[in-house]
Amino acid sequence: MTTKTLNIQVNARNRAYALDGTSNDKILNLGLSNAVDLPYECGSGTCGTCKARLISGEICDQWPEAPGRKFLKLKKGEFLMCQCAAKTDSVIEVESFVHTMEAGACVPAPLKGRISSVKLLTPDVIFLQIALQQTVDFDAGQFMLVQFPEIVGFRGWSMVNYERHAKTLDFVIKKKPGGELSEWLFNNNCDGVEVDLFGPMGNATFYSRLAKNILCIAGGSGIAGIMSILSRASQDGYFSQYNGDVFFGVRTMKDAFFLDELSVLRGECGEKLNITIALSEEAAPDDARTDYPLLTFDQGFVHEVAGRHMEDRYQNLRAYLAGPPPLVNGSIGMLLRARVTTDNIRYDKFS
Amino acid sequence: MSKNMHVCKLSDIPVHGIMDFVIGSGERVLVANFRDKYYAYNGNCPHQGTCLAEGFFDGAVLTCSKHLWQWDITTGKPIGLAESPLEGYKVEIEGDEIYVRQANALKMAELFSDISTSTQDRLVQLTRREEYESGSVLYDLGDTTDDLYILESGRVEFELGRDDRTSAAGFILRKGEVFGWAALLEQQPVRIAKAVCVEKSALLRLNGEEAVKVLASDPASGYLVMRQLATLITRHFTSSSEK
Repeated sequence: MTTKTLNIQVNARNRAYALDGTSNDKILNLGLSNAVDLPYECGSGTCGTCKARLISGEICDQWPEAPGRKFLKLKKGEFLMCQCAAKTDSVIEVESFVHTMEAGACVPAPLKGRISSVKLLTPDVIFLQIALQQTVDFDAGQFMLVQFPEIVGFRGWSMVNYERHAKTLDFVIKKKPGGELSEWLFNNNCDGVEVDLFGPMGNATFYSRLAKNILCIAGGSGIAGIMSILSRASQDGYFSQYNGDVFFGVRTMKDAFFLDELSVLRGECGEKLNITIALSEEAAPDDARTDYPLLTFDQGFVHEVAGRHMEDRYQNLRAYLAGPPPLVNGSIGMLLRARVTTDNIRYDKFS
Repeated sequence: MSKNMHVCKLSDIPVHGIMDFVIGSGERVLVANFRDKYYAYNGNCPHQGTCLAEGFFDGAVLTCSKHLWQWDITTGKPIGLAESPLEGYKVEIEGDEIYVRQANALKMAELFSDISTSTQDRLVQLTRREEYESGSVLYDLGDTTDDLYILESGRVEFELGRDDRTSAAGFILRKGEVFGWAALLEQQPVRIAKAVCVEKSALLRLNGEEAVKVLASDPASGYLVMRQLATLITRHFTSSSEK
């Protein structure tokens, strides 16, 4: 059976785009895979950034309970492009300027893969590796949408690894108590399970021509994208010229992970890279300093620890933030007070 | 002349702080204090409608919490990532009470925001306010480029092409947005798109030739308008954000 081609016209503030899709294509993904840079942040139904208005035609909402719907004016025909597909030829409107992606951008596309490794990093953080059927290019700091069989909806996770023509993607996933996906991942033998992916996505990206000192503030599983950034920076010898300050916040040492990997990166990159583990609920035990002599340990909320350590070292700086909303908002406030310009504050809000 | 609308008391606004209120007309108004002055703006971010009172304010610069767009609180002009100005109100203080009044759309237009007040006032004098019903065609492809337009309220859409080979070419919906810029340019005698009001709309019309004469008598303002015009055109045709 062939799937009928549908014409979807996207009217933006500056121009219109004509897209050919099917009733299986979410409108956001259809636009992005055609290099049309539609607005989005989480891509997974939470943040509301991808809202659009239906002018004509019919759409199908594949996740009517999406939390991002709270940002919509439903009576005005608003919907989330990341959750809706067209049922008929449709015209939609996006209330912002929309341009095509720049040459050289990693254009998102649908991908297929299978779970090749699952292991616990802490009692509530899981490491997940997906082997892809085809290679993919992505920028350090980007994320991928992943959908598992029998679990409704895509989830967005930042890649931990960084390499061109990647054959595998590494992720870290925080267990959410009662979360359908968390329970499935944590309680089942998932090795070999086939998954659908869409990406890469996200604008909190690092590239070596940036030529600035970098500050990374991450909490919990938010360290994933920062690991990718550090991996790329290490591969390019970036910290021979620029400073890197990384602050990784966890509650206690039992919640910490990737400390071996961070120590290796610190060893490779040298003294211009400073990595601090911020423990919010305990002082660092003495053996932590013995076991990880290349890392620094401090106590407090990670953005407060970062504020104490950075003091007046905000010149020529790009900041990357990743973690729960209080961490991101607290860090933004600190950076604004330090007069870091907003174009140098990068994060992808997942909520 | 629009009428004054009551917003709040002076004492409601923290020193060098912000507070928002929903006024009688249903509009959300953000009031800010900086030094001994008070400023009032539409309380929703012009980007995606986020509540601006939830943003960051350092006493001089307002930052939206969602995508970090920023504005100078004294002028409403965009800073850094922001692509649109804030929609401002005129503030009037009577005793301890703060009132706001709708500002003139031309004075809010980015195209004219940097020029001298006297030239701004001369341009305001030249404008004609007109109201149009939904469906009104303001100009069509090939029409003479006589006037430029400033949106006061409503919505205007543009269309390229002829007959059944047409395509949508964007729309404007914010107070102070300017279109029909070709009226300010020499050797651009005809319209290259069709402009249609798709809601009941109020517009200020300004004759291009007369506007250019006023600007020619104040070259510093004229330079600023042409520089801003180049920025506006660039925004429509090129990618605006570094990735």
